[in-house]
Amino acid sequence: MVTPMTSQTTQLSAEQVGYLTAGPGRAAEAALARLIDAGLVRVSRDGLVTAVHSNNHGATTSVEARILSYSRTAVRFDTIVQSTANSTEMAQLHRHLLDRRLMQRPRRRHEAWWFSLAIAGGLVVLGFSTPAFFVGVPIALLFFAWQRGRGPVTKAGKEVLRPVSASDRVYAVALYGFCGKVGGHRVGDLFELSQSVVKMIPLKRQRARKSSSDGGGCGSASSCSSCGSGCGSSSSSCSSSSSSCSSSGSSCGGGGGCGGGGGGD
Amino acid sequence: MAGITDLGVGIGWRSEIDLTVERLPGVDFVEVVAENLHIGHLPESVTLLLERGIPVLPHAVSLSLGGADEVDLKRVQHLGEIAEAVGAPMVSDHVCFVRAGGLDSGHLMPVPRTKDALDVLVANVRLAQRNLPVPLALENVAALLEWPDGELSEGQFLAELVERTDCWLLVDVANLYANARNIGTDPERFLDEIPLERLAYVHVAGGEQHGDVYHDTHAHAVLPEVLGVLDELCSRVRPPGVLLERDDNYPSDTEIASELAAIRAVVDKHRG
Amino acid sequence: MIEGNDLSAARKRLAAQQAELLNALLAKGPVPTGFDEQRIAVERRALLSKRRGIARMLGPAVADELGDRFRPLFDAYAVENPRRAGSRAREDAAAFAEWCRASGELSVNRKARWKFWQSN
Repeated sequence: MVTPMTSQTTQLSAEQVGYLTAGPGRAAEAALARLIDAGLVRVSRDGLVTAVHSNNHGATTSVEARILSYSRTAVRFDTIVQSTANSTEMAQLHRHLLDRRLMQRPRRRHEAWWFSLAIAGGLVVLGFSTPAFFVGVPIALLFFAWQRGRGPVTKAGKEVLRPVSASDRVYAVALYGFCGKVGGHRVGDLFELSQSVVKMIPLKRQRARKSSSDGGGCGSASSCSSCGSGCGSSSSSCSSSSSSCSSSGSSCGGGGGCGGGGGGD
Repeated sequence: MAGITDLGVGIGWRSEIDLTVERLPGVDFVEVVAENLHIGHLPESVTLLLERGIPVLPHAVSLSLGGADEVDLKRVQHLGEIAEAVGAPMVSDHVCFVRAGGLDSGHLMPVPRTKDALDVLVANVRLAQRNLPVPLALENVAALLEWPDGELSEGQFLAELVERTDCWLLVDVANLYANARNIGTDPERFLDEIPLERLAYVHVAGGEQHGDVYHDTHAHAVLPEVLGVLDELCSRVRPPGVLLERDDNYPSDTEIASELAAIRAVVDKHRG
Repeated sequence: MIEGNDLSAARKRLAAQQAELLNALLAKGPVPTGFDEQRIAVERRALLSKRRGIARMLGPAVADELGDRFRPLFDAYAVENPRRAGSRAREDAAAFAEWCRASGELSVNRKARWKFWQSN
């Protein structure tokens, strides 16, 4: 169900643009943006995402279909973005982009990439006293270059991405994220989403807090093998499942109403 | 307080559809589930509605007034505090029990319509009333099963309750329809038997027929038959308010608006 | 509050009736005399369905990981663990997740390794 491309230069879908620009998380944001734009999903003031119930679900991609089914009952904005980013549907989109050679399997940056640089530097210093050591410098530098890894987006990928602009609010999300800005406006504002909602999504900046689980690479649970080199791994521990809605000690419940147990099935 | 003055047409406020409720045309009042609100931090949307002058009525689901145990005053107190926080003219809960024998059913269970059950209910309601700052309205529930050995009809049971506690009634026409379908009670007889002058307001909700059982899901469209029961009620009394309850599978704003419009059309038909 | 003897006797009788019904509906207890067995079964399913829906809403990640197994597992959990009076819906959802982990149906650590490549 991945949006088909009619020719090499055809427009990329917002999801694809999102993926090429910033990975599965952004692609999830873009898919969610498309659904909000189409009135298929509503977001509450405090960031509860709920699919708008209708007979015709209106999803145009498998990622969108997943979001709609996942948000049949309210789910937090960040939870749905995160879960969609890690979904098998998103992995399919990634595979599709790989097949079209818009992306490539990145080489992970080695944890010790800086170490080879240090060795090269050391050899240079040593080379001043013993010129024979210069021989090792190019080898160490090559090793360093290989260890630095390779980006996930191919030249072709960058090429098709270049003409894409924030022509509408959905593409604005694909390119800059809900937290980003376009033309001096907050992208979230274009969707009437408050900053407290869009800020639920962990930002790249948080990567400074490097957690032990980060290891050297980044790769998220599923498809984020695309993290090759410059990958921001925000290790913000996701806020579990808790939707801010309801629950309460109330006997009657969750969604808060008094409605009966549903189809009794 | 002499009755509740003209509430109009309203909708149950739920956090998932807060923006929808704010945007909908023709929402004269809203109801909030008291257990989902916390004193000190009312949802922004509820505050906004209050600022617009929209009445907000707390509706409780956990008092278990029909339960054998004495009513839990902590729950009553919370309901009262919410009422004060939103300046509500009235609060409500159901004629039901939710807890018994150390278990929680998670739902509103019907009480046996016996003298024992009525005496206990009356005692619990009186205790709750003494601890509430505003009048209490009680709602008829939808039942999937019938207790054996009922001594009174549902209408008689509620009439007795009103007589002895001076409480108000919140009549759920969808529940009347559900009971007619599922346990064969007669909505018209119910309406004949209850003291309609004590009607606070009316609930309308959607449901779904599943095999031979009608489920009062609050997650489906309102059936024309349910509007038919509302019509029947309106032919007897002008309800001070009618409120649409939707708790899940929220449709588009347009669809919700048209359900409200359909309700208003029934109410207005009898006003002319 | 001091209640009359009549009232406390009524409370006792009502308590027994209500407890018997909930026991039948929530904890596989016998169907109390006078009730229609089919109706009890319908009510049992409706209560279970409502409880399951709330658990799904409060723990979407768990439901997501379990996929098709969510429903049968939740139903098995629910009948073994009827909700205690005074417990919260959120506790129920958490207890279910714990129950699944204990029986090896759910990976032990769902602390999401939330790696966002980049979002801004």
